[in-house]
Amino acid sequence: MLKIDQYAYINRIADMHPIEKSILALATMVICLAFSAPLTSVLVILFMAVLSILVAGIPARFYLKLMSLPLFFLVTGVLTVALNFTTTSPDSFLWGFRIGRYWFGATGVSLALAGNLFLKALGAVSCLYFLSLTTSMLEIFAMLKKLRLPPLFIELMSLVYRFIFVLLETTDRIYISQASRWGYANIKNTYRSLGQLVTNLFTKSHHNSQMLFTTLMSRCYQGELNVLENSYTLSKRNLLMITFVETALLVTGLWSCGYIRFL
Amino acid sequence: MSIEPIIETRGLGFSYVDGTQALVDVTISIPKGKRIAFLGPNGSGKTTLFLHFNGLMRPDRGKIFFDGREVSYKHHRLLELRKQVGIIFQDPETQLFSSSVKQEISFGPINLGLSRNDVEERVKKAMDDTGIADLKNKPTHFLSYGQKKRVAIADILAMEPRVLVCDEPTAWLDKKHEGQIMRLLDEINSDGITVIMSTHDVDIAYSWADYIFVMNKGSVIGEGTPEQIFYDLKLLEEAELERPWLLDIYDDLSNKGFLNRDNPPKTKDELLLNLANCVRGT
Repeated sequence: MLKIDQYAYINRIADMHPIEKSILALATMVICLAFSAPLTSVLVILFMAVLSILVAGIPARFYLKLMSLPLFFLVTGVLTVALNFTTTSPDSFLWGFRIGRYWFGATGVSLALAGNLFLKALGAVSCLYFLSLTTSMLEIFAMLKKLRLPPLFIELMSLVYRFIFVLLETTDRIYISQASRWGYANIKNTYRSLGQLVTNLFTKSHHNSQMLFTTLMSRCYQGELNVLENSYTLSKRNLLMITFVETALLVTGLWSCGYIRFL
Repeated sequence: MSIEPIIETRGLGFSYVDGTQALVDVTISIPKGKRIAFLGPNGSGKTTLFLHFNGLMRPDRGKIFFDGREVSYKHHRLLELRKQVGIIFQDPETQLFSSSVKQEISFGPINLGLSRNDVEERVKKAMDDTGIADLKNKPTHFLSYGQKKRVAIADILAMEPRVLVCDEPTAWLDKKHEGQIMRLLDEINSDGITVIMSTHDVDIAYSWADYIFVMNKGSVIGEGTPEQIFYDLKLLEEAELERPWLLDIYDDLSNKGFLNRDNPPKTKDELLLNLANCVRGT
């Protein structure tokens, strides 16, 4: 997870306007979900892979590893769709087996449906990966501010984001100091150490939050965390390219679902 | 000292809820534009005293004066005081609230109600002065401890205070980064800003400070120039302070006649120069 956060800052299109990247990812995802056509899904998966690996410069190995993460959920989910059961004749099954009175098996239709679903889900996931690999949380916050979300909401989000890292580091330090004193040598010690780790983290976080308030007061805090906003400029070229790609995907989707015909 | 004071306290007392006396009858006068060090062991009340300097804590007894005017705890007067007296806290991890270095530094100046352009300018200047311009686009959690420390200093510099208070600025830093921070504090001081720091490093306090306050158990038990402090052996013993190594060597060698008895050296180079002159017989 932390690696995703790092790539979000150092990838080659980190400077691209966050709104452009979001439109690109979200529009592609909507198209991918809207059409139940394997062709569109495969195109989306390939397109996002090319964008993430070749354009943004995310190492291919890391990208493939990320894509393999949701596979377990996907496969188990899709299996239940592919598998049908019946008490009568298993004639429509391409393949099947019997337990007691029930016949279990897969039909051509259910297999197609399952395959479709699998590709669709993977396509949607790859769109979200593209967004999180190329757009840092800071840019997301800036964008949410542009979209006029309540400031309190964004302030809370950004504080949580900042202090996730402080919390992780504190956890790490406490864990190391415990482990070096046999804190995790056996099950009994592990339970006790884990309990102490959690309580310690809680008290430390409480202390930190009070210190933070003091330090903010020291800098004339008056209830709002106002900071300088980064200014991004939309690039006409990028927007044009995004429109072109999305239109092409849309047309492919409509065509593969049979809504448009070319003579 | 005859120099006009910037911060004065009279009979300052403060106790925590559990009854611990954090400050006991502290009456001091901090000279304007100087480099001031507070020496004392952990728990001697340095941090508590610092938090009184810009009104973050309110004393139980006694008064504080800033630039000749008694500190008032009315909202707008407090804001004015905090603009003049900036505190850099010991742990940058709790001071830095933003994940963007630039936004972090802009927080103070924006609170002062400056225009966007002025804020941009101040942020840029603070980053240049602290040597972190290249960190502009890095998120806070990518930075090293020493870099975070400098961002914490830039935070306060951007508010352009007249007094800079640093709580243990060299804690946990290695020698190289310690030197960088001390040089930075020197530069800040040369712009006319009064710099106050707490430390338990006697070598730093001796070489750097113009004036030293020694604290123990909530009281100021001694004050003076570095020479006055470190030749007061009774005070050093009471405060459980070591002597700076420069002074120990200077005293020992000059007693044996290997060094000229002029002014005690403030730096290693001064000591070596004295030694070289002595060897040449000048």
